[in-house]
Amino acid sequence: MIKLDSSIAETMVDLTNIDFDQLFGFGDDSNPLMMLIWILPIILFIFYGQRIQLQVTSGEIKKSIKKLDSYRAEARKELIDYINKNLSLKQDPTKKIDQFLEYFTIMPVDMDPNGIVDKVRHTVRAREDYSRIHVKSLSPEIDEIELSRVLTLLEIATSLHMIYKVINHMFLTAKKQNNYPLILPLQMMLPFIMEEAEAITKAIPAFKLGQPIGDGIGPMVVGKMMLDSKKETVAFQTVLAKKEHAGRNLLLLKAEGPGSNVGRPGDAVESIVSSNKPDVIIMIDAALKLEGEDSASTARGFGAAIGGIGTERFQIEEIATKNNIPIFAIVIKQSVKEAITLMTKDIANQAENVHSQIEEMIQENTTAGQTVLLIGVGNTMGVPQ
Amino acid sequence: MFSKEKIIVAYTLEKCISCNLERKRKFKEGDKLFLDALNCDSCKGIMRIEKIYGETIES
Repeated sequence: MIKLDSSIAETMVDLTNIDFDQLFGFGDDSNPLMMLIWILPIILFIFYGQRIQLQVTSGEIKKSIKKLDSYRAEARKELIDYINKNLSLKQDPTKKIDQFLEYFTIMPVDMDPNGIVDKVRHTVRAREDYSRIHVKSLSPEIDEIELSRVLTLLEIATSLHMIYKVINHMFLTAKKQNNYPLILPLQMMLPFIMEEAEAITKAIPAFKLGQPIGDGIGPMVVGKMMLDSKKETVAFQTVLAKKEHAGRNLLLLKAEGPGSNVGRPGDAVESIVSSNKPDVIIMIDAALKLEGEDSASTARGFGAAIGGIGTERFQIEEIATKNNIPIFAIVIKQSVKEAITLMTKDIANQAENVHSQIEEMIQENTTAGQTVLLIGVGNTMGVPQ
Repeated sequence: MFSKEKIIVAYTLEKCISCNLERKRKFKEGDKLFLDALNCDSCKGIMRIEKIYGETIES
């Protein structure tokens, strides 16, 4: 027994006494095994490095594309379910909805930028009008609030459908060409796109239930000020109320609620200025916060606070410049997700603060007898006036 | 170790125009801002929907 143990011990490698120099050939440059161990990966990475990276990156992008696909499918399903549940239909809407999802908008040529804003406005409004007419044709008895909700849900489904298609196209092109640099911009952009797509998807319940969203804080503040005044329509889906406050004439403007509308503040300002020129314009809007900034914090500034593709802002800026009207702004900061989903408590709680800032701004920048045009910019869903 | 699931619950805040008493309840479909609500428990005055907002609950 003792003899057997000692023979085993002799054949066993002494792991406490390994010569690493000898094992890896550090001391000997001519060890062919070592040369292979070091040189093979280098050669592999020189010739196939990009393909390996492409495979690794592809895996991550594929997961995101799968998520985007589920988002677009969810949005489509929610839209069809909503239409079936809330509209009295004559026919199955699925085919028509699928047709809508494939609609595209070709933006005007900008080689000669002269007059491009009018062209963009015309194209976008033509699309809006077309969508409105065709959704209405599904159910002619549909009321304006329901119609605005369906149109917004359609916009959500179309946006997610388009995001999925574009990202998938970029990915497949890079894969088809086996081109790693082509996939790099996609890899860099994807986290931002995913954040936006997730936010758009999470906006669906609020729009279905008609709840106010973060972007509606401007209309919420101005809408409350309008409550006891007479309202008149000054532009498409845009209402105006007149009020007196601390000796100033207030012209209160917002999109017509409680439907999911943003109104046409550009046209409204043009119409108001032509008949009753204000001395000051104050715009209240939600603004995207920078990373690190607190959500629902407010800030004051100068210039037209209004988002979108830029046509409304251009129109307001042009009218203000021609008529020498200063524009002041109060913004309520929030993330993309907060702006398009159900309003958070922090944002809703800022309403009183924004109202007192408006009063302060009016006191500081105008004198008694002057006229102030106050615009609550944003989606007015769930916010009447 | 595992991130908790976040659920957003919608609430409606009603406020009495006369005595400023506030009443918070869960959002019901059809609620809209500034709509008149049930009378005030305290002064029987008119209550109005003042805010509709979401609160995040971790489950």
